[in-house]
Amino acid sequence: MSRQGIHIEGISKTYGKGDTAVHALKNVTMLVAPGEVVGLIGPSGSGKSTLLKCLGAVIEPTAGRMTLGGDVIYDDGWKVRDLRALRRDKIGFVFQAPYLIPFLDATDNIALLPMLAGVPNPQARAQALELLTALDMQHRASAMPPQLSGGEQQRVSIARGLINRPPVILADEPTAPLDSERAMAVVRILNDMARKLETAVIVVTHDEKIIPTFKRIYHIRDGVTHEEKGEGRPF
Amino acid sequence: MINLAGRDILHSWGKFVFTGIGLGLLIGVTLIMAGVYRGMVDDGKALLDNSGADLWVVQRDTLGPYAEPSSVSDDIYRSILAIPGIARAANITYLTMQVRRGGNDVRSLVVGIAPGQLGTTPGWPPYLVAGRQITRSHYEAVADIATGFKLGDHITIRRNYYTVVGLTRRMVSSGGDPMVFIPLKDAQEAQFLKDNDAIWQSRSRTEANPAFNRPGTPDLLDTVIASQSTNTFVNAILVTLKPGYQPEDVAESIRRWKRLTVYTRTQMEDILISKLIATSAKQIAMFLVILALVSAAIVAFIIYSLTMDKIREIAVLKLIGTRNRTIAAMIMQQSLALGAIGFVVGKISATFSAPIFPKYILLTPADSVAGFFAVLVICVLASLVAIRMALKVDPAEAIG
Amino acid sequence: MKHLPLQRRTLGLLAVIVPLLVLFIYVGLRSGPLAPVAVTLATVHPHAIKPALFGIGTTEARHTYKIGPTFAGRLKHLDVDVGDQVQAEQVLGEMDPVDLDDRLHAQESALRRTEAVLREAQARQAYAQSQAQRYEQLFAAHLSSEEALAIAQQELKIANAVLSAAHEDIIHAQSNHAGLMAQRNNLRLIAPVEGLVTVRNIEPGTTVVAGQTIVEIVDPLGLWINVRFDQISAAGLTAGLPAHITLRSRQGQVLQGHVLRVEPKADTVTEELLAKVIFDQQPKHLPPIGELAEVTLDMPALSTSPVIPNAAIQRKGDSVGVWQVIKGDLHFTTVKLGASDLDGRVQILEGLSNGDDVVVYSDKALTSRSRIDVIERAPGITE
Repeated sequence: MSRQGIHIEGISKTYGKGDTAVHALKNVTMLVAPGEVVGLIGPSGSGKSTLLKCLGAVIEPTAGRMTLGGDVIYDDGWKVRDLRALRRDKIGFVFQAPYLIPFLDATDNIALLPMLAGVPNPQARAQALELLTALDMQHRASAMPPQLSGGEQQRVSIARGLINRPPVILADEPTAPLDSERAMAVVRILNDMARKLETAVIVVTHDEKIIPTFKRIYHIRDGVTHEEKGEGRPF
Repeated sequence: MINLAGRDILHSWGKFVFTGIGLGLLIGVTLIMAGVYRGMVDDGKALLDNSGADLWVVQRDTLGPYAEPSSVSDDIYRSILAIPGIARAANITYLTMQVRRGGNDVRSLVVGIAPGQLGTTPGWPPYLVAGRQITRSHYEAVADIATGFKLGDHITIRRNYYTVVGLTRRMVSSGGDPMVFIPLKDAQEAQFLKDNDAIWQSRSRTEANPAFNRPGTPDLLDTVIASQSTNTFVNAILVTLKPGYQPEDVAESIRRWKRLTVYTRTQMEDILISKLIATSAKQIAMFLVILALVSAAIVAFIIYSLTMDKIREIAVLKLIGTRNRTIAAMIMQQSLALGAIGFVVGKISATFSAPIFPKYILLTPADSVAGFFAVLVICVLASLVAIRMALKVDPAEAIG
Repeated sequence: MKHLPLQRRTLGLLAVIVPLLVLFIYVGLRSGPLAPVAVTLATVHPHAIKPALFGIGTTEARHTYKIGPTFAGRLKHLDVDVGDQVQAEQVLGEMDPVDLDDRLHAQESALRRTEAVLREAQARQAYAQSQAQRYEQLFAAHLSSEEALAIAQQELKIANAVLSAAHEDIIHAQSNHAGLMAQRNNLRLIAPVEGLVTVRNIEPGTTVVAGQTIVEIVDPLGLWINVRFDQISAAGLTAGLPAHITLRSRQGQVLQGHVLRVEPKADTVTEELLAKVIFDQQPKHLPPIGELAEVTLDMPALSTSPVIPNAAIQRKGDSVGVWQVIKGDLHFTTVKLGASDLDGRVQILEGLSNGDDVVVYSDKALTSRSRIDVIERAPGITE
């Protein structure tokens, strides 16, 4: 278990003070092992987005403890100084929309991340090309985002999330705009990459098409989570 | 690390170049305005340089001969020649008037130059672009090409015809009117004698005056009319000095002995530049400030809208770990690139449109360099607004 | 393969940027103070200068006769008008005698009176003479006193004196008479020479003062042009120089003449020399007196020497010279100038030799640091 996945305990997030305080998260605990793909399901207003933002080190929780890849990153206060670098190196994001940079081609969109980390350009591009090949996209390597189809863009977006080999990937509704065939393809890729790169993957979704594929599911309601066994249907 | 600004510009280069050209024309106008000012100053300096004089002797207590009318007797120059240190002294007249050629007339400064030896008499045009200098004592003219006259043209000044025998360039008055050089006696006549109709009227008036028309002295009337028909005045005396003499010293001796007002080259420049063009200079300065502000506003607006178009991507960039510094650099580099394109377009359009203007436009390299840095500074400042917006964006907005 | 779309885009951008930059650099180097100055050169060549003098003058009559009375009076009649040809001794008109005839009568009677007085004096003198002789004889014969003789002699002297006075009176009266006769003759205005009447100032009936001009007569064949030359460029002005005359009303027609004389008195106020130029042959239609004329005098051609156009002459500091181009470099050469002609050619006495190149025309004032660009002819100018 060299990469250790992600483990959060007792994470709470409260907005405001006193009578008008909103308790978005109440004592949330989650554990995802490397290579595991879990679902995070909840209705809107359940604190789902807040939890994702805490997991993504985008907002600061009010209390609790977060361990990522074996390192404690939060313990009633941030334990790392550079959150931006943390996000860059340790957290992979896959968004609902691809959000590709329109003036960079597919390869550079992906290679941008290692370049930001200081990796020399040719090496970063080589890594990106590798991932594209793994995703069966090498022939579209120099296409600009508007020239890619929706699914291709999504794959590039996933590759971008993976390229720095983060210990955790947070996927926010990655299959929402897709049809069932493509949705399954995305699930397949995520599981594939998770296993290969020993990455923990948390997928926030309410897509009925893919929920049965999770082996474990976290439900969240009113800021409280509880774990559940999933169907684990093959894809 | 790839240069994000460069990639963005390459991707939407049409927009950039188009905006750059628009900005460039505005910068071109700004450079032209500065050129108008420099041109006016240069017109004044050219006027002083071309006269070839070290000192200007004018009517007492006037700012003449360019800023104020001045009249001195035309034989004073002989006594000035006797003052030590003076190499040459020559009479000169200036009159701004319409010079006719064929059916149209041109506003010119008619300069009466004293007869003299080639090359030495002050007031003669120092260099020609065609033809020759005046050789006859009457009815020949040397004109500036800005008048539109060609060699061999017959032009009319008052009642006489003159043949254009030579052409000059950059011989202009401080107001930008081109000069026409004619012999001094003809110029004195032109300055004084009006048209035939007025002369008839004047004669009749003299005849009607019993003081001049006495029966006992039959020749008195003719004598009076003759004296009224001559002009023995000139506007100034141009003086050149012998080497080794200081202008101010010689000027002081003329002032003391001859009760005239004398100006050195520095004083004339001061009169021309600070008195004649002071108001225009202020006006142009205001224009330059306004244009600079407008340019800044345009650049700020454009960069702001370019940034806002990318605000989602900027949020994503920030989320996935791009430094604030990198994002700010991208925006500022775009702004500077826009400024650079604008400046290049502006300089080129200013240079090619400058000759078309009726007045002289002088574009100096110093102004261009100063303009370039001003454009860069404006671009940096204008991009600050957009940078602020970009940095304020919360990366969390990228997530749902 | 991967770089192709990138290259296409970059190429498109370069196609815009590169010409822009080239234009920019061109603009920087070719305009403004860094630009070279366009100049036109001329070669110093040998030429025999034919100097000429130019002046303007007015047509005048050599002799103008102003006819008028010698005393105040009224003009009785005038028989000539402007443009009439008159003969010598012709009567042009007459003044009103007024009281002159009466005065003449008075003078005549005064004359007769003096003649009578003379006769009386002569008679007395004859008597006194004979008396003196008688008393002398008587005194010599001691028949009368010395006193009587003295009285007689004294009376003789008195009578002689009175006779002399009477003679003088006659002369006096005769002179007065002659004078009045002359005046009477002067009442008539007489043309002194054959000529043309040019001015008729007074009409009959007008009262005029002595010396006032009634008519002016000129000799039409005696026309000359009073020409003025600027002193500073009138070297060599002498009598006999051939002249080309253009009258103001007859532009394009050149008449031949020559200088009759150079006036010994110059005009100090206008600093001009004056000369009288006459026509070689009388023009068929005489120009009106007072018409302006442009006169060019030919001077004898000088020997061949190096000449340059006068547009090349420049002043630098205190010296006069030209900008010489030696092997493409600009160099100010001081020169000594000689004679020049009216077409703008000037002799070079010192400083240049035949074949040297000098700058004639330049777009800007030249300095020793200027870069030059030799062109055939300045643009935008048509000869």
